[in-house]
Amino acid sequence: MSAPSSSAVSAAGHDTHGHDESKFQIYVQIAMLLAVITGVEIVTVYLPFAKALLVTVLVVLSTVKFMFVIFYFMHLRWDKPFCTILFFIGLVLAGGTMWALLSLFGAEASLPLPT
Amino acid sequence: MSSHAATATIDHHHDPTTATGIPNKKLLMWAFLASDCMFFGTLISTHLIYRLHPPAGGLDPKVIFSPELTSFSTFILLMSSLMMALAVTAIQKGNVKSCRWSLLTTIFFGLIFLGCQVYEFNHFVHEKHMTISNSLLGTTFYTLTGTHGCHVAIGVLWLTLMYVRSFKPAAGSTQRTWFSHQLLHAVALLGGLLLVLKVTLGLVHALQIEPAFGAALGHFLKAEFLALAGVLVALGACVWFSRPRGPVDFNVTHAIDVESMGLYWHFVDIVWIVIFTVVYLLEYL
Amino acid sequence: MDASAKTAYLTKEELAPAKPKLLSHPSAKTGLMGWLTTVDHKKIGFLYGFFALIFFLVGGFEALLIRTQLMVPNNDVLTAQQYNTLFTMHGTTMIFLAVMPLSSAFFNFIMPLQIGARDVAFPRLNAFSLWTFVAGAIILNIGWFLPTATHGAPDGGWFGYAPLTSKQFIPKHSIDYWVMGIQLLGVASIAASLNFIVTIINLRAPGMTMMRLPVFVWMTLITSFLIILSFPAITIALVELMMDRNFQTSFFEVSGGGMPILWQHLFWVFGHPEVYILILPAMGIISEILPTFARKPLFGYPIVVFSGACIGFLGFAVWSHHMFTTGLGTVATAAFSLATMAIAVPTGVKIFNWIGTLWGGHIVMRTPMLFALGFVWMFMMGGMSGIMHAAAPADSQQQDSYFVIAHFHYVLIGGSIFALLAGLHYWFPLMFGRKVSEFWGKLSFWVIFVGFNVTFFPMHFLGLNGMPRRTFTYDPNLGWNTANFIATMGSYVLGVGMFIYFAVLTYTFFKGERVKKDYWDGRTLEWSIDNPPPEYNFRVIPTVHARDGWWYEKHHRAEIEKEKSAHAQAEEEHGGIHMPFGSIWPFVTSVGLLVGAVGITYFDSDWSPGIHAKLGVSLVGGGIMFIGIYFWSLEGNEGYHLHLDQDGRPIADEPHAKH
Repeated sequence: MSAPSSSAVSAAGHDTHGHDESKFQIYVQIAMLLAVITGVEIVTVYLPFAKALLVTVLVVLSTVKFMFVIFYFMHLRWDKPFCTILFFIGLVLAGGTMWALLSLFGAEASLPLPT
Repeated sequence: MSSHAATATIDHHHDPTTATGIPNKKLLMWAFLASDCMFFGTLISTHLIYRLHPPAGGLDPKVIFSPELTSFSTFILLMSSLMMALAVTAIQKGNVKSCRWSLLTTIFFGLIFLGCQVYEFNHFVHEKHMTISNSLLGTTFYTLTGTHGCHVAIGVLWLTLMYVRSFKPAAGSTQRTWFSHQLLHAVALLGGLLLVLKVTLGLVHALQIEPAFGAALGHFLKAEFLALAGVLVALGACVWFSRPRGPVDFNVTHAIDVESMGLYWHFVDIVWIVIFTVVYLLEYL
Repeated sequence: MDASAKTAYLTKEELAPAKPKLLSHPSAKTGLMGWLTTVDHKKIGFLYGFFALIFFLVGGFEALLIRTQLMVPNNDVLTAQQYNTLFTMHGTTMIFLAVMPLSSAFFNFIMPLQIGARDVAFPRLNAFSLWTFVAGAIILNIGWFLPTATHGAPDGGWFGYAPLTSKQFIPKHSIDYWVMGIQLLGVASIAASLNFIVTIINLRAPGMTMMRLPVFVWMTLITSFLIILSFPAITIALVELMMDRNFQTSFFEVSGGGMPILWQHLFWVFGHPEVYILILPAMGIISEILPTFARKPLFGYPIVVFSGACIGFLGFAVWSHHMFTTGLGTVATAAFSLATMAIAVPTGVKIFNWIGTLWGGHIVMRTPMLFALGFVWMFMMGGMSGIMHAAAPADSQQQDSYFVIAHFHYVLIGGSIFALLAGLHYWFPLMFGRKVSEFWGKLSFWVIFVGFNVTFFPMHFLGLNGMPRRTFTYDPNLGWNTANFIATMGSYVLGVGMFIYFAVLTYTFFKGERVKKDYWDGRTLEWSIDNPPPEYNFRVIPTVHARDGWWYEKHHRAEIEKEKSAHAQAEEEHGGIHMPFGSIWPFVTSVGLLVGAVGITYFDSDWSPGIHAKLGVSLVGGGIMFIGIYFWSLEGNEGYHLHLDQDGRPIADEPHAKH
């Protein structure tokens, strides 16, 4: 095994080593956080507030969960930014399409005729 | 990783280091997940569009859904994601044993999730009388959550095969039967898992139809005797196949394979996060 | 243990444990097994092209039948049912089985050569894409050979609008073939595109930065993104349709509360990006050909690239312009109208860039250049009628008329097909080391050009005079007789032109004059290798110093020679050129998909007695597919090494399995 690659290996190994100590802790903490947020979401549903507020809260909480999973569990945080860009191209287009479809079908022109 | 750029000119060690430094498999997986976003986006849209103007006299999801069960399976799936992340960390450090245990736990959690879904579907069809063809809610709900369930099932299959793969003997081994062992191990593990699923559902079923615990147990043992025996045989076989037999061809160099699988598994998890909110929780507002 | 040293290839010199016979690597390079197990991107590209051209001729034949039926009023060459089948299959075949795979053939063959790679990132996945495409093509066309009463070829239109496709209106299996066929083609396209994306991002030669990529590679990348992001929508739509037909759900069934309009939305969420999937590769080809024959670099390279990306992105925001007449509401109509008009801007920018490339160049009029210039003109005319559809009020007059037919044939034949035909002529010397006769090439161009315009230009008038599309005959007193007759005559001329084109191509393939490398004096890296390209592509992975990499090499010979010999030596020290082993498992996986999909098409909603056999077929297919994937992963991505002599011929393969 030649010198350049073994140095590359040790560099890469060193690179990840710094995270290793704390990664286990981070993962467990995030899992707990996700569980707590899920609990909060379930409680939120039954709270007597305005519907719009509750929907906002739920969407924000789910987004937080979503982001924690993709940036930590799926380690986008430690990866090259291009992975994030790649995934967000799909995510943004899918989100945009969903939004457009729901707006189209929610519009007055799409209301079912009274029967 | 900057050293990769410098060595990119020529492939050292058959490692045609990539132009960006991102491993090919990881890039493939992220591109696939971007595509899958659109896949589930369309499916969830369909469900939501039909929930925008629910037909008069249609089924009421508040009556049908059971928040307790769904919350439980959501929690289970989150925990399976944690175990998956730990499995990736373990193999990146070359800790094969820890990786195997994390994989097994992930499989186990994934299976519980699938069991919950089978139970849920069964319950909805037989108790709540919502079938895939008798209502629009049933049509979109079963298709959406069923497709997600298929993704989980594929994930479990993948995890199982990766777990079995971790027993492939290393270079220099004299073991000539490893290939048939791999196949039998995979069959035993998959068969065992399916039987465990069946047995557990059988137990739940028995507990529901028999009020007394003893009677339920008796009923369960009678109904599931063969399956229980099968579970024992399969698990015994798995233990036998997984006995230590020298160095294995599964180490840090395979971290990328486990990691790609992990990305898929976490993605299935985040899809469920979205489904949990927009399909289940929003109905209760 | 060397940790991250391995990523893509694991070549185990010390390979033990003993490999079971089942997993031994196929070594055939020729013959049937050679083709079935190939992972060489050039062979796969060739096969894509081969199948695509066959289906192109089939689709063309269908078109001629349609035109024959419409030649005179009240014609009875075809029955209404046959006419339905023919226009459905003509559209589906041309889009999914001719233009897309032909583009894919160029992606496969040319793209890795242009970025200086030895293969795509996942060679076996590439083979899987090819065979799955073939499987999809088989299912789409299987109905031709089965009884028309219960099976028959698909006959619901290429966009299969609900509720026409429901069991109630088409109870026979024709639609099921359409559903599963397109489903498999989607799998194939997505797998191939993922592969191309990774290849372009990761396998670029040193120095080949993103802004040095040839425009064709850029368009491949953007097209691949469009495919992976738009096909999931049709996949879901088809799943829902399949559920409706086979499992009695009510996604699009009005009686169960479903909305047929949802199908239109989901279809066009896919369908509009699909339009750009068909045209962007063509734009890439043109952007390669024009600079080569104008003898100057592409004018405004970054702008061409960015306008391509812009078209791709905007392509996702305009789908509802196919549905203006369905009543979307004023806001949505205005928004989609605006977005559609906006898309004309980057397209127009490209046209100006091409004209700018020609401006002041030393234009060499060879056959590929003729087709390319034909493209620019005809595509522009298609764009002119396209922009008319963007205005919703005008579109409501043109919707479903022959005006629309004229428009999209101008952009698909005058656009995509002209560019693909140009590309075939352009890269033929590279692919096969032979050149097409200039006289016959130019003759075929002029016949095709005249035939095409005579066929489709009158359709503008037919459309404006109110002739609706998809009518199998018409009354003599509607004023459509002359134009229809002219169009049919034109289509025969077009057919003759295509015959000349392909006859000449076939002749050249076997008997054409042999040419040396770099026949056109090209600019991009694919011309730096011998023709036909050796299996290892590049003797030495090139280092790119400029946007037109090969042009730079040709003008800095001494510097490049020194660099290359240094690299060649370094590579030889590291074991030689790495080549992937062939594999049969991608083919097995595709066969499994084919069998499984055939099983699914036969499901009936009423769980009739034969259901077990049908379920069995699906399960057997699934099993074969699973075995294919499992063995595919078990056999590992190993390879062997090539060592070359002075003339670039392999000295000896060095197999690794030493048992």
